[in-house]
Amino acid sequence: MGQFPQLNQEDLDHFEAAMQELLAKSEAHVALLVEKAGYLIHQCGKPDSIDTTTFATLGSNAYNAVQFMAQLVNENNFTSMYQQGENFSTLMVNVDENSLLVIVFPTHLTVGSMKYYANPAARLLADRIQVASGRTPGQGLDLSDLDPTDVQTLFQKKETP
Amino acid sequence: MAIINQATKELQVKIVYYGPAKSGKTTNLEQVHSNVQVPNAASKGKMTSLATSSDRTLFFDFFPLEAVAIKGFKTKFALFTVPGQVIYNATRQIVLRGVDGIVFVADSQYDKMEENIETFKHLEDNLKTLNLNIEEIPYVMQYNKRDLPEVAPVEYLDFLLNNRDVQVPSFEASASNCQGVFETLNMITRMLLHKFLNDGVRK
Repeated sequence: MGQFPQLNQEDLDHFEAAMQELLAKSEAHVALLVEKAGYLIHQCGKPDSIDTTTFATLGSNAYNAVQFMAQLVNENNFTSMYQQGENFSTLMVNVDENSLLVIVFPTHLTVGSMKYYANPAARLLADRIQVASGRTPGQGLDLSDLDPTDVQTLFQKKETP
Repeated sequence: MAIINQATKELQVKIVYYGPAKSGKTTNLEQVHSNVQVPNAASKGKMTSLATSSDRTLFFDFFPLEAVAIKGFKTKFALFTVPGQVIYNATRQIVLRGVDGIVFVADSQYDKMEENIETFKHLEDNLKTLNLNIEEIPYVMQYNKRDLPEVAPVEYLDFLLNNRDVQVPSFEASASNCQGVFETLNMITRMLLHKFLNDGVRK
């Protein structure tokens, strides 16, 4: 399992362009790029009242659960996941080893059309992630001048009245 | 593994609370969620629990928590629990994916020792399945339920669960009273930052 790369503004611009194009063509409401450990990487569209952080986490874990099911039946081709609702549906499409694309769309749109537009968008996202991975492999956040004792009580309990 | 976004100046880290059934993993998260000081409401996300009708964790509990900025990076912690029941071992593996730090919540009661040991073994096995090694992941032990009668001495718990070349930090806790909860969370976050620091340039 590889490491999701660090991103710069150019990467985010590419994600934005690919996902906006997907939304424009498909008429979906929201597109989320999600790392499979549950992190929301980028979002586009009109999330309105959706808690996209939680949505991304639930989506990635549900997707991972389906991959687990696939392994149990020796199936390597569970590459997407679709849930139909009364008003909204969701489609989750694999992007690469570490990430997936989560789309929320009105139910009157068909899953077939959504897949038709989602697959090229997923490829564009995967290509850009590969560019980011190749740019500075292994480089991380340099905390070399950080004194950990400064952050030893990062979280504090509320004082009781 | 942690996500670093240079464009948005964000660091995202995943911490998983792992332990046997009913050891207090969900209670830890609930206490942090209820009692943590945050600069603004947006710093603390909603707590999501995927539980059975009898309030047993079915898949996971989760909530996102934002800490103070570190070197200009907004630091976001994703706190998870796993289901304690052995029948849900597959879902534990799923939740462990991409874990950065682990809090092992042990039940201090004497009659829970076998479950504690077995669950820790499952943790090691599940990490191996994900090509991860417990020795390389920051983790702490929390000996919970210290307020109950019939609890084992800390030395005994350390002997059973924390008996390695390098002992990890351990905390006594009574999560239902919010005792030891923040001490545990702060230590695992500190260890995570130490790990980033020691790695220098993270691989």
